[in-house]
Amino acid sequence: MLLAVDKLTLGFGAAEPLLREVDLALAPGRRLLVCGATGSGKSTLMMALAGVIPKISHVAQYDGSVTLEGENVLHIPQDALFSRVGFVAQSAEDQLWDLSVEDIIAFPLENRATPRDEVRARVRVLMEHLELTELAGRRVLTLSGGERRMVVLAAALAPRPDLLVLDEPTTGLDPAARGRLCEALKQASEDVSGLIIAEQDPAHLAPVAGDLALLSNGTLSAVRPLAPALDDTALWREAGLLPPRKHRAQRRTVEPGRELLSVTGLRTTLARASGKPVLDALDLTLRAGEVLGVIGRNGAGKTTLMKSVLGLTPVSAGGIALGGEAAQDWTTAKRARQIAYVPQSMRQILFHMTAAEEVDFARSMGQGREDTGTVLARYGLEGQAETNPFALSARQQGQLGLACAEASGAMIAIVDEPLLARDLEGRALLETFLDRMTSQGRAVMLISHDLELVDDLATRLVLVGDGGIAYDGPLAEGWQSPAFAALGWPTPYAPARESAA
Amino acid sequence: MTRLHDLNFFVKLAAAFALMTVAWLAPDWRFGFPFAALILLMLWATRVPKLGGYLKGAGLLTLMVIVSWMVNLLLQGVSAPDALAHAAKMAARLVATTALFYFVMETSPPGAILAACSAARLPAVVTLVLSLLFGIIPMLRDEFERIADAQRARGMEIDDVSLVRRLRFALARGVPLLVQAIRTAHAISFSLSLYGFELSRKRTTWREVGLMVEPRMTWKDMTR
Repeated sequence: MLLAVDKLTLGFGAAEPLLREVDLALAPGRRLLVCGATGSGKSTLMMALAGVIPKISHVAQYDGSVTLEGENVLHIPQDALFSRVGFVAQSAEDQLWDLSVEDIIAFPLENRATPRDEVRARVRVLMEHLELTELAGRRVLTLSGGERRMVVLAAALAPRPDLLVLDEPTTGLDPAARGRLCEALKQASEDVSGLIIAEQDPAHLAPVAGDLALLSNGTLSAVRPLAPALDDTALWREAGLLPPRKHRAQRRTVEPGRELLSVTGLRTTLARASGKPVLDALDLTLRAGEVLGVIGRNGAGKTTLMKSVLGLTPVSAGGIALGGEAAQDWTTAKRARQIAYVPQSMRQILFHMTAAEEVDFARSMGQGREDTGTVLARYGLEGQAETNPFALSARQQGQLGLACAEASGAMIAIVDEPLLARDLEGRALLETFLDRMTSQGRAVMLISHDLELVDDLATRLVLVGDGGIAYDGPLAEGWQSPAFAALGWPTPYAPARESAA
Repeated sequence: MTRLHDLNFFVKLAAAFALMTVAWLAPDWRFGFPFAALILLMLWATRVPKLGGYLKGAGLLTLMVIVSWMVNLLLQGVSAPDALAHAAKMAARLVATTALFYFVMETSPPGAILAACSAARLPAVVTLVLSLLFGIIPMLRDEFERIADAQRARGMEIDDVSLVRRLRFALARGVPLLVQAIRTAHAISFSLSLYGFELSRKRTTWREVGLMVEPRMTWKDMTR
């Protein structure tokens, strides 16, 4: 057996352990997908399977055993263990510092004194297979989240591990990058004996995984074949997850109100290596009551568009109007009082000592009037008012972001890749937020690579590409448009339709 | 001129020490000031990143040094022209010194320092300390700027306000900066443990290292 887990119990000092008596056996050649809702303990389990717990991170309670090819990981020297096990954490940032792409990939080999020619050859192969050659020489901290994740994966593959453990590897990847990831994992199977991946949405990685185990209420289910489980709607709902092959929800319809945002002829100072502006001659409007789904390839300019609207990146031409008033000369702060920003990682924009202070601050910057406790409770943060925002989990920080955006009273909210919406509970919170915003005559820009999420929740679709808006209109037409076809991405719900057919 | 950025870290460091020695041996301000100006000109010519920010800091440093030395010397009974000449000499030395090490710090990413140290077969602990010593300041500065952008994006007016308020808001960045510094330290420590870094083992490097340090891998010559 490549990996065997026997009655593994892990706890962080609370009355109940997070994981209870987990049993698992992974034979050589097997590819296992572990799915569970946010907070179910997937990351903790992945760290324990990789040996990160207890070798690098420690927990209050560690009972049972994890053995790699018959050897308890506790007794394998750290360096030897991580030569045999490749690990990609849920937050790729936890494995990165200010090195170049090549440095990060070469790091595990250089540290083990591998000769230079071998290191170079391995780095070249990995960068070619993962299509990272365009990123050569770039410092990883300047890359997008999706690009960073691919670099960390390359580093995990560099020492040719026997077992690869990946924690939510598709986070932040556009559909094309997810496809490249699947291809890379298929190629890696020549070197890697076993693969374990934790994900919330199994559909993306179904091509590379054969088996499934579900994690809920602190226990891991028995391993079953993945393919038939994909159609078992009840199975996923019981685990608190959105079924991967659910059918399209009723699309939201809206009668747009007054114009809240107007962008005309926008050209950014920021240019690509070719000298072409990242965005040029871009026009965009957003009306009251709308949820605008914004999609586009990684690096297409979605973030630059958002930063341009907020005034965080300089523009060389064009106009921006907010609520009918010309806003291009406004400071970022003045614009931000009309536009609430909820980034993918809330850590970027938190700077108060308690969650309540964050909400109070948001309200003081805008026109919001609602009581802080009420807003926090609406987004599942009752009892957390005095908690330091940095002590909240990533999921709770996302909830705090929605609470702050609503409390601010800003007429527009920009929600960038809301990861909390990947399970049932999180999706319900996001829907609450959208309903409240739109019913109050406000509007939301929803930036996401999750096309099903956009299809479910948006009322209009915008596709950013080629320095401008490649498509702007209804969702149904958008998925059939030449601009979308040019991306080569699967249409949302295509697998469900194929399955139904 | 930007090829100078790719000079081996130790060559840059040696050159910086040599030029700094010249600056400190300057007999008076009439030599020291032009020499410091020449160093600043070199920074501009070699397109050192974020030079504007450095020049602001250097301007403030010059002012503070001149004022403090003037006050000190005047209190000791030195004549005003002599006190000014001495203060100017000290300011020129400090500007030249900080400018030289700013060049080394800004143009030597941690990866290039790691490579230079590894190629020199230095002990792993020296390699790590040098990389972090020169790498952490630009990292924290970038983080400080990112947090300022976050404050702006939350509606905090930090630009169009008085200097006092601007300083107050800058202090408010201390908490997230501290949190980020701890996270960075954790990420470095985690990656060192996960990727097999050991103090007892000398590292290798993927880069070609000589007088210059290869900045990136290229795909033109696949035979290398």
